[in-house]
Amino acid sequence: MSKVLVVDPSLCTGCHRCEMWCSLTKYGEINPSRSNVYVIRREPAVDVPVVCMQCGLCIDVCPTGALKRDGATDAVVVDENLCTGCGTCVKVCPYGVLRVDEETDVAAKCDLCSGSPACVSHCPHGALRYEDAGKAAARRREIWAMAHAVRIR
Amino acid sequence: MWYGFAGKLLRVNLTSGEFKVEELDKNELRKYMGCVGYAARLLYQEMPGGIDPLSPEAKVVLATGAVTGTLCPSGGSYEVCYKSPLTGTWNQARSGGAFGPKLKYAGFDFVVIEGKAEEPVYVYIHDGEVEIKPAKHLWGLNVEETTDALIRELDDPEISVAAIGQAGENGVLYAALINDRGRAAGRGGIGAVFGSKNLKAVVVNGRGGIKVAHPKEFAEAVEKAEQWLKNYPFGSIPSLGTVGLVSLNNSLGILPTKNFHTAYFEQADQVSGETLNRKYQIKRRACYGCSFACGRYTSVGNGKFATPPMEGPEYETVDMLGPICGVADLEAIIRGNYLCNVYGLDTISTGMSIAFAMECYEKGLLTDRDTEGMPLRWGDGEVMVKLVEKIAHREGIGALLAQGVKRMAEQLGPAAEEAAIHVKGLELPAHEPRSESKVLAVQYAVSPRGGCHMHPNWASTWDFGQLDCGMKEFGLPWPPTGMQDESPQKGVVYRYVALQGEISEILGACIFYSWGTEGSCITPQLYAEIVSALTGWDVTAAELMTAAERSWNLKRCFNAREGFTRKDDKLPGRFTQAIPDGPSAGARVENLDAMLDAYYETMGWDRQTGLPAPEKLRELGLEFAIN
Repeated sequence: MSKVLVVDPSLCTGCHRCEMWCSLTKYGEINPSRSNVYVIRREPAVDVPVVCMQCGLCIDVCPTGALKRDGATDAVVVDENLCTGCGTCVKVCPYGVLRVDEETDVAAKCDLCSGSPACVSHCPHGALRYEDAGKAAARRREIWAMAHAVRIR
Repeated sequence: MWYGFAGKLLRVNLTSGEFKVEELDKNELRKYMGCVGYAARLLYQEMPGGIDPLSPEAKVVLATGAVTGTLCPSGGSYEVCYKSPLTGTWNQARSGGAFGPKLKYAGFDFVVIEGKAEEPVYVYIHDGEVEIKPAKHLWGLNVEETTDALIRELDDPEISVAAIGQAGENGVLYAALINDRGRAAGRGGIGAVFGSKNLKAVVVNGRGGIKVAHPKEFAEAVEKAEQWLKNYPFGSIPSLGTVGLVSLNNSLGILPTKNFHTAYFEQADQVSGETLNRKYQIKRRACYGCSFACGRYTSVGNGKFATPPMEGPEYETVDMLGPICGVADLEAIIRGNYLCNVYGLDTISTGMSIAFAMECYEKGLLTDRDTEGMPLRWGDGEVMVKLVEKIAHREGIGALLAQGVKRMAEQLGPAAEEAAIHVKGLELPAHEPRSESKVLAVQYAVSPRGGCHMHPNWASTWDFGQLDCGMKEFGLPWPPTGMQDESPQKGVVYRYVALQGEISEILGACIFYSWGTEGSCITPQLYAEIVSALTGWDVTAAELMTAAERSWNLKRCFNAREGFTRKDDKLPGRFTQAIPDGPSAGARVENLDAMLDAYYETMGWDRQTGLPAPEKLRELGLEFAIN
């Protein structure tokens, strides 16, 4: 079973290093606006990395068949030769983690770096992890449950 | 094509309401490396000596450096360079958060602010565009309200706002500029300078990136830094925040207490990092690109010091609003910190001004008549918080405190002089020169912005930290002696400590990353690797050292033009008296002059005047600064 990218927002400090590593890996420049992982910092005290769930809704709506599932990682990847940059995928993505890159003019999204996500390797606090699907599922259940727990302080 | 830099300087003239974008000259930039170094050149050449820092003729430079906004883990900073209204000296106020990186993403390495707007304005810089917009509706709002209003008005939650609060508007001489709600360009009164220009805020955001000359080599150098930092010697900075220092410093007798009367605080455990984290911390938070995350988010749920979630307090603030005033109530400290953030006040000068007033009250130099019946007793958290309010609004006794301890002492007479703990008018921070480090004593005396523990370096790395920070190859004396040793050698050591710190200043880097040794911090050698891969310049550590020395000398020349010489490089008299109690009882500073002699000599400065010799300036290519 392939691995899954999971997020634990309670560990995120909002440093944005994942965004910088993503843009450096993909484009050779440092530019959080061209990252495929998104860190949302809001007040008070909200720091949450938002990542692609690889759900594949975008695959079905792509008019040119440019989005497909990678056999090795199960990531949904963009075929830049087929993509016209029409943005239909951006409209349908429920998490808002697809974008049309302003320089290349084609769709850009997380492709799990072919199985070795740069954001995960470099997260200083373990807020992003790349884990076995079973373990990841357990972590997601945990986070989902704890989000509804009453905060005791 | 620019790598590592945006390559542009923005010049905003508030008098005319016009702005101009200037291309940077690569050779000239590299000579100073950027950030504070280049800003020193700008201000030295463009702002003649003797200008009133609160007049329209005064200029302000917002400066970023090569590493700002990059993956270099220390790259979350920017520096505000200006002439301080508190000290009349050069000042550089560093701040983290997101402002520096976003300024660069918006397309500018530097912003030069000139003139004075007729009515309140703010400057909005986004993706290469610049707008000077009316801020009448924001005048009178605090920093938090201003930030919220601008996010609504500009309809962009990702903007970074650097704003002044009421303290800056009211001309408090140590008013801060606060960015991202809780990050302060704190020291020296930049908030008052903004206020004098009718400038409420500078707002930045951008979608531009920073180009990397050699991405693969850059990634490798950054990975090396990430690995080395796993061995960082001050692990409590990430885990507890800087406030983790409270317990350690108290156990060593280096925790400044009751206006530097002593260095040991009985109730330190009540205001420790451990207590803060256990009872009040919501989460850890990082500046942009920082892997340490020393920032704390805290709140106080209820009671008389109830405080909404806010950034802080860090070590300086805890000591300054706490032990320095004899206050052992962390809730009062958090509340006081919050008020300083929203009104826009430097917590160090605020705490020291309050402590000075408490000492004067104890000695009868201030009476209930002066304070409208409020007794200024040591340790009263409620009074401390009330005084923060009064200072920000310059109300009642607050009008006196708003001027800082040097001016207060001048008004209260010679008896108060002894209680005014400052150098060149800058109130001393929470580090004890008698017992923590005699190298620090030298820095307090000579730092270009006055008594400062951070500019250009935390000067205690050698004798307190026993760390070489990669400086041995340049001649740093080794092995180090003890913290209280006062041999003239410490003046020689300070040269290396200062120049290593200045490397951070000219790169725009947070100084916290510079403390360790090869394999545990970002040494000048590793900075050279990172900056070379980033910019494509073949930068060596030796070149960084030379650029640092250039910047360091130029700032000295800036102050010389304002009339400062060796006679001003001195410490408050209190430090010649022994620490009365605690683990460091008996420690004092006795031989400052001998250490200074050694320092000037090793710098190539004149011993009598303490000023850079003409041949030194020629050697550094600073002929224009010879007078």
